[in-house]
Amino acid sequence: MTFAKNMLRDSFQRDIIILLVVSILVGSMLASAVSMGANAYFSKTLASFVGDYGEFDLIINVREEMKIDSAQQIQKIINDVFPGSTMKEGPTLTGKTSFFVTLPAQYQTKQVYEDLGKTFGSIPGGAGVGVMTDPRLTIRGVPEGAKNMLMDKIMQMDGVRFAFRDGSSIGVVLQSLEKSAPVEKQINALLKQYQVIEISFPVGSEPANPIRLGEAIAGALQQDLRLQYAQNVSVDGKNDDMTYAVSTMMEMRRFLTAYASQVTITPTGGAQLAKGDTLVFQGTAPAAPAAGSPPDKNNVLVQITAIKSDGTAEGTIAQGDASALANPQGYRLDKNLVAEPVATVSYSNPRQQLAGALDETSKLVAEIPGFAQDARGMSTIAMNALESYDSGIAAVEKTLDGVQAAGTTIQAATSGLATIDTSALRAQLDTSAKGLGGLIGTLKVLKLAGGDGSSIDSLAGTQSSLVGLSSTLGALDNVAVNARQAKTAIDSVVSGSQSTLATLKAFDAAGAKASLSDMNGRLDKVQQINAPLVAAQLQYMAASAPNLKDEDISHTLAIIDKFIAGQVIPGERIQILTTSNISTDAVAPIVHREAGHSNAALYATDMGIIEPDARGQLYQVLHEVKAILAGITAMVAASLFLVFDHTAIMAVIRRRRLANRTKPAGWRAIAARFAAISAAERLYGMACGAVMLTAMFIFAGGGIPYLPWIGVPVVGALLGLLVASYADKISPVAGDEIMAGEALGLSLDEVMREIVIPAARPGLLQKLNNRKVKFR
Amino acid sequence: MLTINNLHKRFGKVVAVADVSLEVKQGETVVLMGPSGCGKSTTIRTINRLVEPDGGEVIFAGRDLTAMSSEEIRAVRKRIGFVFQQFNLIGRLTAEENVMLGLVMDGMPKEAARDKALAALTKVGLESCRGQKPGELSGGQQQRVGIARALAFEPELMLWDEPTASLDPILVREVLVVMEELAKYRASTMVVVTHELPFALHVADRLVLMDKGRVVEEGVPDKVFVTPASEVGQRYKELIEYQMNTSALTLAGRRVA
Repeated sequence: MTFAKNMLRDSFQRDIIILLVVSILVGSMLASAVSMGANAYFSKTLASFVGDYGEFDLIINVREEMKIDSAQQIQKIINDVFPGSTMKEGPTLTGKTSFFVTLPAQYQTKQVYEDLGKTFGSIPGGAGVGVMTDPRLTIRGVPEGAKNMLMDKIMQMDGVRFAFRDGSSIGVVLQSLEKSAPVEKQINALLKQYQVIEISFPVGSEPANPIRLGEAIAGALQQDLRLQYAQNVSVDGKNDDMTYAVSTMMEMRRFLTAYASQVTITPTGGAQLAKGDTLVFQGTAPAAPAAGSPPDKNNVLVQITAIKSDGTAEGTIAQGDASALANPQGYRLDKNLVAEPVATVSYSNPRQQLAGALDETSKLVAEIPGFAQDARGMSTIAMNALESYDSGIAAVEKTLDGVQAAGTTIQAATSGLATIDTSALRAQLDTSAKGLGGLIGTLKVLKLAGGDGSSIDSLAGTQSSLVGLSSTLGALDNVAVNARQAKTAIDSVVSGSQSTLATLKAFDAAGAKASLSDMNGRLDKVQQINAPLVAAQLQYMAASAPNLKDEDISHTLAIIDKFIAGQVIPGERIQILTTSNISTDAVAPIVHREAGHSNAALYATDMGIIEPDARGQLYQVLHEVKAILAGITAMVAASLFLVFDHTAIMAVIRRRRLANRTKPAGWRAIAARFAAISAAERLYGMACGAVMLTAMFIFAGGGIPYLPWIGVPVVGALLGLLVASYADKISPVAGDEIMAGEALGLSLDEVMREIVIPAARPGLLQKLNNRKVKFR
Repeated sequence: MLTINNLHKRFGKVVAVADVSLEVKQGETVVLMGPSGCGKSTTIRTINRLVEPDGGEVIFAGRDLTAMSSEEIRAVRKRIGFVFQQFNLIGRLTAEENVMLGLVMDGMPKEAARDKALAALTKVGLESCRGQKPGELSGGQQQRVGIARALAFEPELMLWDEPTASLDPILVREVLVVMEELAKYRASTMVVVTHELPFALHVADRLVLMDKGRVVEEGVPDKVFVTPASEVGQRYKELIEYQMNTSALTLAGRRVA
């Protein structure tokens, strides 16, 4: 309340408030002036080299000696392509002249910036075009294949005008400098969501086609680990035509390598071979290579590519063709001269094998119509057979029934015979026959003696009849036996046939007919194939494949290797972009499985790093320098105001505090020392310092590195405390004069205005006090 | 005019003024004497509260000064002149401005204040030094400016705090002459702290002796110095006797004092 009253009336307290306000204004202006002056100076210096911040959009460097022509060409291009643009010649440094171009807003686009190289490609002496549009952020280290995805996401962020490919980096043009920090924060958060898993393959374990392997690994990661995102970003697989070309080249390389002759070299005579050695073979030359002479152009040269564990070696043919390796003796090539014989060679020529296989296949193809025709005929026969299958089965079944009935009849017919005993009759008949035999023998003798021989024949006939009867009686016995056996056999046949018949009945004749019908349809289609054309093509392929010589393949492979090596695709490294929530430990088994071996190293890296462009960085530094200068000036100003204006006040406050106080002793003195910080004059100093410095920082845009805003009033308070501690020494007040004033009945305000301030150090307060003082 | 009752003042453990009571009548000149550190200056400064008393009363013109607000006491101070031992002049101001200061700050127009200041300076014989700053004046002249400054208000009460203590003996006289003149014409009531025995003997209506913060004896000078009742009084008596004896100097064969 008292304070408010004092503010309303013309009091010294009001003077102090006015002083503080004026001090803050003066200090802020001073700090602003110093910082702006320094900033203007540095900015001007910088601008003379790289233009003002945001002034230019493009920088085009040309060779100094071509700058006149270049300037004309640049002017022409911007007039034609970017009407409304302006160009300014910049400094010439180290033989290069810079031209700055300002583009109208409508040409500040992603498309324009990504085509700058083409747009300004015709400039004579051109050494490069760079983007200067500010404010801008640059993200480096982003894998090629991830750039599109990242740019798409960045362009959706608030504060981003557009993102574009800036060489190997991504440039992000912002709407304003104030958006820089929030956009940077958003991009950082985005980058943290992803990680790049780098898969490195050591020498000897490189994948044949890293692009395909990368795609396979990415697919497996998504499937096996259920990752939302996994992409092979080793190369940009979407927009870069060169990627396709390289991929094709790699496939071509793999194809050629597969059909290059496989040369196996066996050392002889204990010769030692090493990778890289070249051997000379006779080839189509008329004579074997002669030691000491250079190799003939008709010789076959084989370069060793690998040494196997059994001592044999593999090689590729650098000159000639494997088919010319009739003479297997190889000679070492030493300093381009034929040396001693060291090995014999054997080879397999996949091209010849392919040609042979194609040739055979063409023959096979030629036979296909005949095969189809024959098969069609057989199929028809089979169909007919199947058509009568059921009736045949029925006939067989009927036959079996007849057989079974015949068996029964036989059994019935012979059952009487089984009870007749023919053995005694047959013995009697045999005896009679024998007697007739004796008789006949006798008669035959008689006949020889001239007797009548007619009875002999009659007796012989009788004997034969007896024997025959006996035999018939014996056969009668056999018939009975045979009849039983026949019945048994018939039963067995009938039983077995019925089993067979059951099997035959089970056969799906209808299904077989349907299958045959389908087969007939396919055979009809096979018959419609233009087999002669296929055969001709196969013969053409067979004829063309062998046309590649091994040396052609070797040279082609060398060219392809050079081409691939010149591209950005590192064969020994695959980059998979995925979410950051998966570890390399989880990924490793999948990589090993897809690669077919575990000889690969995995490590995770950030998706990219934000790197403000150098110019923006420079201006950022300037901005910081400006803030630092403003801050330092504010601190100096606050200190000066404290010293020159406030020490006298502090001294008076201190004097009044101590007027009725005795000097403490003992522990009270120690306690008083610690409590001194709360002394009135020190509190006053801290308050003034904190208020002045904070306000000056705010108004002048001050900033000290590593000093947070909350620290500013603290620093101000510390300054005030320091000054207050030495107030008596800095601005001693005459206590006797003050006492004289008090004795005259002067108020504190009057004492301050008439006695203390006029006698204090000259400063702003003294100047302000001059208006109030009665005795100047 | 002025009544002091049971005045107390301590500085820590040191008792500067202990239970001092004093009565000063209108126009009376009271001299406080005593050894150094006995509390004389503290007592006189507590009267107008240049030093805040711890207890007791200071009744001036019927009002207790110890109970007054700061604004009230400032008004009272304009009625009480104070002359300091160290002169306490404002160094940046001329003699005239020093005298004018209180008047002008009290609202008096500058010209009127200047006239009054000139009159005060004339009274102390320094009208010719009106434009000089304290640093250009001798100690006696400075003190006379201090007296003029106190007189300019035409105070009802004049407090003198050893006004000659900082002066060399030769300059003491010119101050004492002024003081004697003021006392002689009873221009104001005076309470004087001094060690000047001749001044006390010739000018004081009443002598108050202090020792260790207390009033040990008071009375008219003849009584106190001739028949002292206190040890301090006795020592003053012996001093007077000594000075009288040693002052009997012979100069060119003649006794001059």
